[in-house]
Amino acid sequence: MAAAIFAAAMAANGVSAQEPDNRVPEIPAGRLTQEQLDLLVPKHPAYLGALAPANLAKPRPKPPFDVTGTWFVDLQEGFMKFLFGPPYPKFREEAQKAFEEGPKVMAKGQNYRDSIGQCFPPGMPMIMTRVWPHAFIQLPTAIYMISGFNNSLRIIYLDGRDFSDPDLIVPSYNGESIGRWDGDTLVVHTKYFETDEHWIDLGLPVSDEFELTERIKLIENGKVMQVEYIMTDPQNWEGEWHNTKRYNREDHTDINESECILANNAHLPGTDLGKATVDERDEK
Amino acid sequence: MKKILVAMALAIAALPCGSAFAHHSFAMFDQTKIVTLKGTVGEFQWTNPHAWIELEVPGANGTSRRWGIELNSPNNLTRQGWTRKAIKPGDKVTVRVSPLRDGKAGGLFLDIVLPNGKVLDSGLPKDGRPINTPTL
Repeated sequence: MAAAIFAAAMAANGVSAQEPDNRVPEIPAGRLTQEQLDLLVPKHPAYLGALAPANLAKPRPKPPFDVTGTWFVDLQEGFMKFLFGPPYPKFREEAQKAFEEGPKVMAKGQNYRDSIGQCFPPGMPMIMTRVWPHAFIQLPTAIYMISGFNNSLRIIYLDGRDFSDPDLIVPSYNGESIGRWDGDTLVVHTKYFETDEHWIDLGLPVSDEFELTERIKLIENGKVMQVEYIMTDPQNWEGEWHNTKRYNREDHTDINESECILANNAHLPGTDLGKATVDERDEK
Repeated sequence: MKKILVAMALAIAALPCGSAFAHHSFAMFDQTKIVTLKGTVGEFQWTNPHAWIELEVPGANGTSRRWGIELNSPNNLTRQGWTRKAIKPGDKVTVRVSPLRDGKAGGLFLDIVLPNGKVLDSGLPKDGRPINTPTL
């Protein structure tokens, strides 16, 4: 039946009614076969998932530290420490324009690239400077990071896998991260970022060539996580952009559910949507 | 005549920016000013990432103006003595805010006097000093 509808629709659009050769079993209205059920599950048959018991049980060297815990950005040097600069690299045209334009727009009392206020994710690295706790859960195969801010999820794979096929990867705001141990340091390489409404600092853009390397250490008896961020984006700046930030272990807190809901932001006058609500009200 | 008192206007040349205290920019609020609003709570939403209040503020000739007031996260408000039942629709309260720069009826919450006289705070400065000043 579905095949007939497909053929009719194709014919109606002036397309040959010949069906493609690579069609998969259709999902029936009734009970599903094992093959049909299996096709519903996103799989990478070449390697085990990070939570597969057989993967978790594989013999591996003992890691030098465990970041499992709840971490909070260290702003003892001031709130502006949320910025990833200064020092800034030499920006290329688009980034330099944003670097100059952002403060001028905000000085006039307007938002500049307030994408977070419209529920776009901050993404890496900005998510790590939100003043919210971040939960880290370290397993032998991966580190799961969940931010208290809008429950942003990031996974750092430690099980020796390679990056995904660039033709299959779905770019994301936190990117795809592969970690490896280098002495007392965890080195994490991240790429494949979503670039739409993804900014650094006050609105600096990232391109699809943006890549991030983090050198993570636990210091001060495990109470402080130190992260050196090394960012490259040949389309937006020259060379490497270095920053080091600290995160304090907080044992008397937890993350909780936090959803960004546009209908709520319409009541926050600091967002573009909330400001529009206020303007509309005042016009009546 | 709107019952609004502009209490402070410290001229600090600063650029309020993408706040680390909140989750989005505070650029649209004039953090050098404080406006005091006496009104009735229309709605109070206790939610992450921001709580908010809709406040009906009476004006002249029986008119009123509804203000949208942005609060911090309940995570922070809890540390400052707030509860989800701290206020309810119908409560008569006095709220101080940093107003929108263009004079429209919206503001960033600073503190509130509840019907029982108790004061709940935001933790934000009230001396006209923006909490963030980019040093670009």
